[in-house]
Amino acid sequence: MLEQIKSIKKAPKEEYYVPGHRTCAGCGPALQYRLVAKAAGKNTIFIGPTGCMYVANTSYGCGPWAVPWIHAQITNGGGVASGIAAAYKAMIRKHETDAEYPNIIVVAGDGGSSDIGLQSLSAAFYRGHNIVFICYDNESYANTGIQVSPTTPYGAWTTFTPAGPVVPEGRKLMPKDIAKIMAHGHPELKYLATASIGYPLDLMNKVRKACNADGPAFLHIHAPCPKGWSFPAEKTIEVAKLAIDTGMFQLYELEDKQYKLNYKPDKIKPVSEYIKCQGRFSHLKPEHIEKLQEFANQRMQEVGIEYGIPQLAE
Amino acid sequence: MKTNIKRMSGCVATANAVKLANVDVICSYPIRPYTGIMSELARMVADGELDAEFVLGEGEHGQLSVVYGASASGARAFTGSSGVGVTYAMEVYSPISGERLPLQMAIADRTLDPPGDFGSEHTDALCCRDQGWIQGWASSPQEALDLTLMYYRIGEDPRVLLPQYACQDGYFVSHILGDVDIPSQEQVDAFLPPYKNHHVLDTKDPVIIGPQMEPEMGPGTQYQRHLAVEGMYKVFEEVHEEFADVFGRKYDPWLEEYMTDDAESVIFLQGGHAETAKNVAKHLRNLGEKVGVVRLRTFRPFPTKQVRETLSKFKVVGVVDNSVNFGISCGAGVLLTEVRAALYNNDKKVETVGFVAGLGGAMITHDEFYKMFDVLKNVAKTGKNEKQSYWLPFEL
Repeated sequence: MLEQIKSIKKAPKEEYYVPGHRTCAGCGPALQYRLVAKAAGKNTIFIGPTGCMYVANTSYGCGPWAVPWIHAQITNGGGVASGIAAAYKAMIRKHETDAEYPNIIVVAGDGGSSDIGLQSLSAAFYRGHNIVFICYDNESYANTGIQVSPTTPYGAWTTFTPAGPVVPEGRKLMPKDIAKIMAHGHPELKYLATASIGYPLDLMNKVRKACNADGPAFLHIHAPCPKGWSFPAEKTIEVAKLAIDTGMFQLYELEDKQYKLNYKPDKIKPVSEYIKCQGRFSHLKPEHIEKLQEFANQRMQEVGIEYGIPQLAE
Repeated sequence: MKTNIKRMSGCVATANAVKLANVDVICSYPIRPYTGIMSELARMVADGELDAEFVLGEGEHGQLSVVYGASASGARAFTGSSGVGVTYAMEVYSPISGERLPLQMAIADRTLDPPGDFGSEHTDALCCRDQGWIQGWASSPQEALDLTLMYYRIGEDPRVLLPQYACQDGYFVSHILGDVDIPSQEQVDAFLPPYKNHHVLDTKDPVIIGPQMEPEMGPGTQYQRHLAVEGMYKVFEEVHEEFADVFGRKYDPWLEEYMTDDAESVIFLQGGHAETAKNVAKHLRNLGEKVGVVRLRTFRPFPTKQVRETLSKFKVVGVVDNSVNFGISCGAGVLLTEVRAALYNNDKKVETVGFVAGLGGAMITHDEFYKMFDVLKNVAKTGKNEKQSYWLPFEL
């Protein structure tokens, strides 16, 4: 069992996601990986479906992990993890290995989780393998040059949703809610949580709960992307925190079939505060911002944030 | 040698081999006709005859993903499919051979769509022929069992480490009963040692499997896989010899020849239809015709040298393709092009005629084989081979 970490100062010193990668300056997903690896520790196998955390990490035939890592296609992180889990279960039972059952953690992007990888993810959770599946959400297909994904927010510019006279808001659809998709309809699910790189202690402890769970656990981790969202590289944490403070992302967990809200901002800021520091929203008009506020309010209400949310204009 | 003969289908024979191979992880998904293998394995697991994880794949792509992860963890893994299921999993075949994971997939052939029937056609497996996997066809339930054991042994050899497609014709082999001598567990254990791979996912000895590389590293990576495939010829021959020693059944690894002594014309094909061809050849022999049958046992790696040497003995070779390869050279199929390539620059001129037959799962009838032998006889007699290929039954 991995103990809960009491304070950030008590976090383990050991690193298992180490220097030697080529992610962009200020990369949210890379910081996420470091925290996940630190929390999970040595007895961990990572599965890396194609995405930023494959391409930028493993260039030149090497990788920045001090634990085993295997590539999966962008389509099949859940399936590959299922195979590893089944193999360890069988080999331990048949005394073919003296290994301890490892933490088997998929670190997939939002495309590899909520879009092309969804079938594989859902199947793995339906079957109940003892694995952890992390969706690090930078809200786009980023390593291919910033294309829209199902988790891209309404109104965001991407190279597949450019704003123009005919489509003034750019991205027209509301994002998929991958955490809710996973929370409902997978009876074997043992633990689910959302987390943010803006709250590293909460993130690491959720990783540990996910590893400890005796069955499939899902983490949806918000990980801002300076390149894709067009904000300065030193603002990553600020943007991550603003997402929580404006209700664009909420921190909660689902444990023993009970939802628990982990963080409620003292005062919820309007979404205009969040979008003004990001170039991807710079084309939005007031009516679009209003629609985004409506979205944030709805998501907050779904997880029990009822009071203090910004009023909509009538 | 003591025998233990039981009557069973190709599917059940394959399942028996998987059990004897003490497979650790199996991943299933239903599609006819290969499903019979999986339902038999599911029964074996439920009845406690086989200790394995039986994972329910959500599709064929999922099946191959599961066995990829299992094999990379050091488990012996098995899966299978048919028809469009085989092509649905296409993305995952190259990563499996690229990471040198010697898992096995049984293919009981089925047509792609159209025609969407359940009939057998080799197109499904042949679509995947160039993915760095071992591939060959069994022509009987006994050979289906033997192929499974031999392929694990060859694929897991440290000099090889490549995955295997163990193919059998849908229905004609997968669902028709034949006598199968089931070996003892002791025999199989003597022939097939436990699977050991030096690069597996082990937290005590971390490795990184499948990193992205730079373009300059591509040629070397692919060349290594090429060398692994090319290096298999020797291993195939060694393993077949050892198989004969342990089990008492001797197969030529590459070609089975039937009544080819002094033959002028032969039919060349792979899989279960060879049995029909042999019947016809036998009858024609009784009538004094100099005919025979050559059955290809291993398609990948393609036995270029053996095909050239063997076929050089004859005047005319009729190559039967049981697949669609629209737009291919000579308007026939991939088997004809492979045979022609093997015979190119040969000292002796051998005429080849292509026959596309049995598509959509249709029988290749005795009558059709008689007609094919007629064509070959005529080419042998006149030396003229004007129409290079025939689609049956329309063009013959």
